[in-house]
Amino acid sequence: MSTTTAAPTELAVHQVDARRMGFFTDTTTCIGCKACEVACKQWNDLPSDGAQFETGSYDHTGSLGASTWRHVRFVEMLDPAAGGPGSGHPGDLDLVQWAADGDGEGSGPGAGAGVGGPASTGVLGDNRWLFMSDVCKHCTNAGCLDACPTGALVRTEFETVIVQQDVCNGCGYCVPACPFGVIDRAPTDGRAAKCTLCYDRMEDGLEPACAKSCPTDSIQFGPYEELVDIAQRRVATLHERGETGAYLYGAGDEPGEELAGGLGAFFLLTQPPERYGLPAQAQSPVQENVAPATVAAISAGLLAAAGVALAFVSAAHGQGRAARLRRRRRW
Amino acid sequence: MALRGHASIQGSTDIPTLFDMLPGYLRMPAAEDDLQSLEAYNAAAGNPKGWWVNYPKYSISLLKAWFGEAATADNDFGFGHLPKISGNHVHFATMLRALDGGLDGLFLMGQNPAVGSQHAGLQRRALASLKWLVVRDLAEIESATFWRDSPEVTSGELNTQDIQTEVFLMPAASHVEKEGSFTNTQRLVQWRDKALEPPGDARSELWFMHHLGKRVRAHYAGSDRERDWPILNLTWDLPEHGERAEPDAEAVVKEVNGYVVATGEPVSGFAALADDGSTACGCWIYSGIYADGVNQARRREPGDIADPAGGWVSPEWAWAWPANRRILYNRASADPDGNPWSERKRFVWWDEEAGAWTGYDVPDFPLDKRPDYEAPDGALGMDAIAGSEPFSLNQDGRGSLFAPSGLADGPMPAHYEPIESPVANLLYPNMDTNPVALRWRRPDNPYHETEDPRYPIVATSFRLTEHHTAGGMSRKLPWLAELQPEMFVEIDPVLATDRGIVDGGWMVVMTARGEIEARARVTDRIRPLRVDRRRVHQVALPWHWGYSGPVRGDTTNDLGVLSGDPNVFIQESKAFSCNVRAGRRTGASTARLAGVHAGQHIAVDEDDVLAENPKETPPT
Repeated sequence: MSTTTAAPTELAVHQVDARRMGFFTDTTTCIGCKACEVACKQWNDLPSDGAQFETGSYDHTGSLGASTWRHVRFVEMLDPAAGGPGSGHPGDLDLVQWAADGDGEGSGPGAGAGVGGPASTGVLGDNRWLFMSDVCKHCTNAGCLDACPTGALVRTEFETVIVQQDVCNGCGYCVPACPFGVIDRAPTDGRAAKCTLCYDRMEDGLEPACAKSCPTDSIQFGPYEELVDIAQRRVATLHERGETGAYLYGAGDEPGEELAGGLGAFFLLTQPPERYGLPAQAQSPVQENVAPATVAAISAGLLAAAGVALAFVSAAHGQGRAARLRRRRRW
Repeated sequence: MALRGHASIQGSTDIPTLFDMLPGYLRMPAAEDDLQSLEAYNAAAGNPKGWWVNYPKYSISLLKAWFGEAATADNDFGFGHLPKISGNHVHFATMLRALDGGLDGLFLMGQNPAVGSQHAGLQRRALASLKWLVVRDLAEIESATFWRDSPEVTSGELNTQDIQTEVFLMPAASHVEKEGSFTNTQRLVQWRDKALEPPGDARSELWFMHHLGKRVRAHYAGSDRERDWPILNLTWDLPEHGERAEPDAEAVVKEVNGYVVATGEPVSGFAALADDGSTACGCWIYSGIYADGVNQARRREPGDIADPAGGWVSPEWAWAWPANRRILYNRASADPDGNPWSERKRFVWWDEEAGAWTGYDVPDFPLDKRPDYEAPDGALGMDAIAGSEPFSLNQDGRGSLFAPSGLADGPMPAHYEPIESPVANLLYPNMDTNPVALRWRRPDNPYHETEDPRYPIVATSFRLTEHHTAGGMSRKLPWLAELQPEMFVEIDPVLATDRGIVDGGWMVVMTARGEIEARARVTDRIRPLRVDRRRVHQVALPWHWGYSGPVRGDTTNDLGVLSGDPNVFIQESKAFSCNVRAGRRTGASTARLAGVHAGQHIAVDEDDVLAENPKETPPT
């Protein structure tokens, strides 16, 4: 890679020979401790969003925003009695109905009367929380960056996308341009803010605060290609163990154009993406509105300017994987 | 001082914050012991067979560490000056004593009983009965502010001007702002260095106790009263360093390790301790932690991870008591003949050629005692332990699935319902609850009877990841507070529907001690139990909130009752009975103690006798 030619304004290059860096967030090892959320706020000096009690979940911070750059989503999975009548969908268990049905002697839970009562093994079998630590995806085709008229949003030498706070004029065009609902304007000064993949820490060779604080390594940080390799092996391991629903979201398990050309911060999921509040398809508005060929040309231009050819190789490689893995996808 | 819920619970038992033990699991002398001499104490506390035959070496070395030159054979090494326990001095009993006017002052170090202890309303009244109270914590916790903002004061039950407690709030250094050690459950003692200076007036516990001790001793200087002897003669000479005169924590490690009195040289381990006053040792089981004058707990050498002798044990990573053994009684990893039970898991074994025990760990057995050694009749001490008996601290050298003695109940496990339960004991119909559990029966500590129709619901308390115990370390931090901002109760949809409680709405939980309000979290995760063909509902309550700080809420512990398990006196009331309704609580106070005056003991019954008397604590 070379950075001897003048970088376009969209690129910030402080380190030559930098590689694409990213996050691999493995939801199967997340324990929902929210340490990443707190570590992110501490390192980046982000304020509390206030204390609001939310119903229905242990998640009181709700979503990503201008002052929440990591957010742990809690998805409650309550499986009714496996195999019992009316046990089609997780979360369908109607305890009130169960109580009405199960009042008489002999027809209560465990009596095998066909009602999925709490004492039957199926109910206790697959009750769990899905945790997902969400974050900016640092898209290959970043909608926010495409929409930014001031050049405040830039791609760094690590192929991450960051906001230059001192350039941002608060127009907010980036907000609807993000297919993931990540970027947000701060209520205080109106400027856009989001995860920087701890650009300041990376400049000093440190891993981002969230990955550093993760006690189970659910959040892994590193060179993108290495992370994809680790993630694919993890998927294979999970498949061997019978967790056949495991797949990668944003790293080659789908055509590049579906998920913003590939995600620098990608995820290992076990349920359809919508269950985690993630879109099944995600494109930058430019991709939506311009013929694919043109997109490719634009992307090629940008990337060539950055002197990064590896990402293309990776993307092409990813397409083959996507075709293979798409068969297993559940959405 | 209670340090429950912290990283060094093992350490706080080894060098105990418990009322009935001296360091290293030596017995605390009691006032009612028949004989008050050191010899009688040693004879009663030690054992003629097994390792405890060495008891006098440890108790005398401890007295030498504490009283230095003043401890001589002629004065029983100062044994007569040790405090004697005269009853059950557990937290609950002590707070009741305070409530009844029997306690002048209290130190709270890292504990917040106004929120974190059972029957918190009663705890706050007890704090209000003290003359003085020292609170050392990271933040201004409820136990330091109860006199101005507790529910009792807000409601007018207590008046601030009537509370005579003088509160001294002392800011504490956090664990990164002081040096010291954590002892984990494996008995591994890991040292940590100080990362930065504590802010402002915040100081380490060591600094606080050291300088408090110096000032106390200055007050007593020159006294010739016999009762002041232990204060005047206590060794209190830690070196200080820096602008803040911080005591040298490693000097404490050296005292804990033990040293030769004549030379000051650290001993190599507890085998070098003597019962003639020639050695001093602050905690015999930790002896060896400062061997060779090196803080062994500070080591960070993991060893060769691929090699069983390295990575399995990592003997040079920190230090484990006793004698750097990573697994206690590890001779049991070999069969009676001394061969590994499993070649794959070989750990400690008999080497016939060398005539010694060897292995990856430090063998927990006399190195040269052959596996086929038979104890002759009448043998004493370690000679009474056969070569095939690994559990050398027990008189018979054997492990027990059930302890034949030493427990207030047992030896066989049995099922009892909690002291407060909405259901009777189906297993033993004649005995619903543990008959030897501790109960403090008094008007201000009312119990629910089994199957009390007024309290048909099971309540259980739990902790959240986002908060730490009574919240002193987490509720004050906005980043943590926003993650779990408000007190809530988990309740099942059936009970919620029955009582008109809606998800996110207010609900009230009631016991005979108090009533608290909280947000309802209606969830299928909480399931009714079915007991004896009856449906029994349960509610679950986190207990992290209190009445001060940026996020506030009612305190779960306001509902609880003082009770204790019969052996270590830990609260028995992890589950208790209650009732619930929709809405907000009726009054400003969460407690129902108004009009119940302190000091009204009802007639002493057998339960009270148990509560007043300390348990027998044979060495373990």
